[in-house]
Amino acid sequence: MKAAQPQSKFGPRFKAGLTGWLFIALAVLMICAFYFYPMIQALILSFQTGTGSNLSFNGIDNYARLFTDDMFLTAVKNTFIYLIFQVPLMVVLALFISVLLNNPRLKFKGFFRTAIFLPCITSLVAYSVVFKYLFSSDGLVNALLLKVHLIGAPIEWIADPFWAKVTIILAITWRWTGYNMIFYLSGLQNIDNSIYEAARIDGASAIRQFFSITIPMLKPIILFTSITSTIGTLQLFDEVVNITKGGPGNATTSISQYIYNLSFKYSADFGYAATVSYSIVIMIIILAFIQFRVAGDRNE
Amino acid sequence: MKKMMFLLLATVFMLSACSGNAGSGASSDPAKKEITVWAWDAKFNIAALNLAKERYMAKHPDVTINIIENAQADIVQKLNTGLNSGTTKGLPNIVLIEDYRSQNFLQAYPDSFRDMSDSIKSADFADYKAGPTNYNGKQYGVPFDSGVTGMYVRTDYLKEAGYTPEDMQDIDWDKFIEIGKAVKAKTGKDMLTQDPNDLGLIRAMIQSAGTWYLKEDGKTPNIAGNAALKEAMEDYKAMFDANIVKTNSDWSQFLAAFNSGAVASVPTGNWITPSVKAEASQSGKWAVVPFPTLKNTPNSVHASNIGGSSWYVMNVDGQDTAADFMKETFGSDKELYQDMLNKIGIIGTFKAASTGSAYDKADDFFGGQKIYADFAKWTTEVPNVNYGLHTYAIEDIMAVEVQNYLAGKDIDSVLNDVQAQAEAQLK
Repeated sequence: MKAAQPQSKFGPRFKAGLTGWLFIALAVLMICAFYFYPMIQALILSFQTGTGSNLSFNGIDNYARLFTDDMFLTAVKNTFIYLIFQVPLMVVLALFISVLLNNPRLKFKGFFRTAIFLPCITSLVAYSVVFKYLFSSDGLVNALLLKVHLIGAPIEWIADPFWAKVTIILAITWRWTGYNMIFYLSGLQNIDNSIYEAARIDGASAIRQFFSITIPMLKPIILFTSITSTIGTLQLFDEVVNITKGGPGNATTSISQYIYNLSFKYSADFGYAATVSYSIVIMIIILAFIQFRVAGDRNE
Repeated sequence: MKKMMFLLLATVFMLSACSGNAGSGASSDPAKKEITVWAWDAKFNIAALNLAKERYMAKHPDVTINIIENAQADIVQKLNTGLNSGTTKGLPNIVLIEDYRSQNFLQAYPDSFRDMSDSIKSADFADYKAGPTNYNGKQYGVPFDSGVTGMYVRTDYLKEAGYTPEDMQDIDWDKFIEIGKAVKAKTGKDMLTQDPNDLGLIRAMIQSAGTWYLKEDGKTPNIAGNAALKEAMEDYKAMFDANIVKTNSDWSQFLAAFNSGAVASVPTGNWITPSVKAEASQSGKWAVVPFPTLKNTPNSVHASNIGGSSWYVMNVDGQDTAADFMKETFGSDKELYQDMLNKIGIIGTFKAASTGSAYDKADDFFGGQKIYADFAKWTTEVPNVNYGLHTYAIEDIMAVEVQNYLAGKDIDSVLNDVQAQAEAQLK
């Protein structure tokens, strides 16, 4: 019988496992500390009431309060208006531009791609302030529209409840279309050209190719961009605060801005503010679920 | 999976241990000689602090005072997050808080501010400053600037319409609107400019009658059945209906409206004086008359307030030094107040310092009127109200309903709706 080999206390499998764990330990710790721990704390906070640090538990009162709170309901309504108009607009626009830019015969491709991507590296606050001035009642946009006689009197882009929403939607679309376009471009480059060649041989028109090849092949990416855009829109804050301050009245207030107001503008009601944040979480989960159901393949 | 759970638990445990330690960071060295002050507005509050620091350091060279400028919104945010986290690290010794918000902080974090009753006397300051700076019978804040209102008027436009500033000395808002119509008819200029999202004028109108959005407990909305508020809103709408209001949508448009000569009057806080004087070409064409009263509200006076803030000493290392700094400067130094008015244009609320050469100065821009003496006098007449906890929350609800009101909604249902929304929201 051979002498037993000197063995470490732990088996080799465990050792390999341990090495693996060590590699990810730091990341796991960080994620726990900076994601999960605050999330759990916020959840606990959302069941508390009081101002500042004088907090006491009040069960689900905060969640019940959401349904009677006009300010919250208006903020939700505004946010969903942005969502319903802005996300499809942006997705379609980004898709359209990316197909144009993917054309092999296009000249100055690099220039156009950079130009369209550029808005999304600008600072949120800086571009919002520029938009505020562009769209002010005596701003450049009104001056231009008046000059070409499209309108007879200046449009109150910031001060009118309807146009203020339009301004916000235009601003977000300008900022984020290029960002989504990049995803579509990379997706388009992954589609094998032979598929298009085969289609052309079969006599499919360009439009038919777009709807029957491009869109189905890009479906996972379209799904991804619409979910990230939905999340982004539900968290909308900078543009609204800087362009309209939520006004006129509360015609453009977003949910995130209401959270900020509850915490810092009104009376430091952190418990209820956390409840409102969790309402966003719930909405995102529901919306993402719907989007997966509508667009996703179940076996993927 | 077990290991995963272990890691998670370990993390949570570690983190709760951390936060447990942080809570015990109480003041261990109250006499520390280095203190930090937070305030906003370099040309106003910070400038006043620098004057105070200079005078204090001359007597106490061993003390170091760090003055840090932050935007007001940032100060509110940092204070809230700092105080809420339970650690006092990173918080200043003295912080400037707007009067509309102060009750909020005092109630939310009562142990974090130092009771200043031993260092200063509430009675030494303008009466109306007691509301925001007192809490539970203790004097926490050191009252600072006066937001006392006045009616800035263009004497040349008034003259064209057949009026003089003397005609406006003792008027109510109905008379003001009548004069406004005459001015509009004769000169084509609007009487005043308003941002429909900023209800400062309505706030000032109701404070002139000693009432507020909230009842005296500072918590219960006082909207429906508030006769002064109802009258103020009716007057506000009457101004729009009379077509004498030029609307603006932000601060720069507000300034432009009177600097460009487009409006004949500016009813607001005295802190606007430097902005009015910024347009040198209008020198001699302005006067300041008392704030109008509400006609049907008997206790409405010719004095009110918009804005203004006070200093608060925090319960952290160095608080004795900070309290002494406040006591010897803003709490008692008459010369400092003269300096503040002469060099910066700040009207204080320290009663003993409301006279003197700086206040008696005639200002040629205002046709030789002693406007500072007038403002100082009005400061003593401002009714004291409790701004309470929810001024800004109610103002946001009001702003929406005021729009509906201007568009034709019935006043009583407007007030009832605001009341109902406020009650639902402010639990």
